[in-house]
Amino acid sequence: MAHVHLEDGAFTIEWVVIWTLIAVALIAIALYRLGGYAIPTRKLAVAAMCVAVGFAIFQIEIPVFGGVHINLTPLIGILVGPSLGSLAVLVINMFGAAIGHGGWGMIGANSIVNIVEVFLGFFIYRHLRCSWNASRFFSAFSATAVALTVSAFVALVIISISGIQGSTQGGEQTFANLLIMAAANIATGLVEAVVTGYIVSFIGKIRSDLLEMAEGEKRPETAETSQEVGTVV
Amino acid sequence: MSRRSYSRHIPDFRLMTFFAEDGKSVVHRMNPWTKAALLAIVILMAIIMDDLILLAVLYLSVLAFYAAGRLPIRLLVGWYTLPVFFVVTIAILLIFTEPGDPLASIEILGKRIAITDAGLMLLVTLLVRALAVVTLSLALFMTTRYSHMAYMVSRILPRPLANIFLLSYRFNFETSDEISDVVDAVHSRNGNMVRGAAKQTRLFAGIFGLSFVHAFERAERIAKAMESRGFSGEFPNVEKLTKPSHYGYLLVSLAILALVIITYSRYVSDLIGWW
Repeated sequence: MAHVHLEDGAFTIEWVVIWTLIAVALIAIALYRLGGYAIPTRKLAVAAMCVAVGFAIFQIEIPVFGGVHINLTPLIGILVGPSLGSLAVLVINMFGAAIGHGGWGMIGANSIVNIVEVFLGFFIYRHLRCSWNASRFFSAFSATAVALTVSAFVALVIISISGIQGSTQGGEQTFANLLIMAAANIATGLVEAVVTGYIVSFIGKIRSDLLEMAEGEKRPETAETSQEVGTVV
Repeated sequence: MSRRSYSRHIPDFRLMTFFAEDGKSVVHRMNPWTKAALLAIVILMAIIMDDLILLAVLYLSVLAFYAAGRLPIRLLVGWYTLPVFFVVTIAILLIFTEPGDPLASIEILGKRIAITDAGLMLLVTLLVRALAVVTLSLALFMTTRYSHMAYMVSRILPRPLANIFLLSYRFNFETSDEISDVVDAVHSRNGNMVRGAAKQTRLFAGIFGLSFVHAFERAERIAKAMESRGFSGEFPNVEKLTKPSHYGYLLVSLAILALVIITYSRYVSDLIGWW
């Protein structure tokens, strides 16, 4: 599992409220940047599709290293940008809470972690593609690896600041204890980074226009079309 | 579990919807607002309660509610894997380092580490809290019809978020069917015999990448269809929800009273310390 989601009861009510308010502020900024209540229908549909695909992909186990589940949140950031991606991950967290993949009261904290992934995924990919002219695979791999590494530490910091309810350990001790968890997440995150690299390369070959937002300009399409690939599959 | 499910430890949305649409139990007949209010109260109780016995009572009450909905207990046990995994991931190291009396110890690399009673208690408490909420959350989604869920979501969430939630709720089924079809196709062509992490990763990346491309194409078609039919930014609710019955209000009032007592006992003065 490349992401750890916190379950209900892990934090005290004060911290649940604080992280929820911060997440609400981030979502409000995302909504404002998208035009408030006047979000174009296409963007709504694309965000909903990203939620559905992200949620469906999460249910498929990739048979490597004993089985890995991935969420592809950095990829969602690369495809739809940080604002729409933030709304998408919030809704993914709501669906997740419905089935025990993270708590309802923890949607705020979990969304902050996921928004960091979406944000870094988009901007690092964009920087590597536009400024360094790096390949799609390398850009997506690096963006995802960095995003998931940073988000693992953000999760660690959130847990250390809040403290685990019922534990007598201080923030520093909790941080030290949970470093192994972060290391395991980062290792699994590398699998997700490789998968994301391949996916972005694949999308770049058949529908490079879907990467326009992250790549800054429309790149020439390859000879293959989505129709041809659809026929092959 | 339905044919479409690819994991025994992740709840199958299609099966959940089947129970929600076709169930006839007393929990199915309960007003959805009442069930949603109970979920909110149980979440707060799970966060605020710190007594393991009270938490166990809360969990057993929620489990009884789930069973009253004639929902499958055996599947629920499998679906607990995910929340248990997340709780254990967070708490596993704390059970060795929490100050307390050692219960068992092992020697690793010349260093002896021990599980303490306080550490074990912390793990169990976190597990009971998480499972109480997960059980009620699954019960809510498995006993409430989509039309009722859609109405509640459209009343609770800001419009753009409600629209994304409702659209993706429906897209979930199509998308998981499509991905399942491709995974079936891969398996039927001996795709599961592919050896090597790199090949497996590339194979699944192709499946996922194609899913995203198809999803975008479908989203573009749906957006055009919605606009051509005069979509004004809000989905019309076909079926409106009535207010809860008197029994519903009574049940929610009692739950709120219990929550107030628990909150008062924890933060002001212990009213239930007679355990």
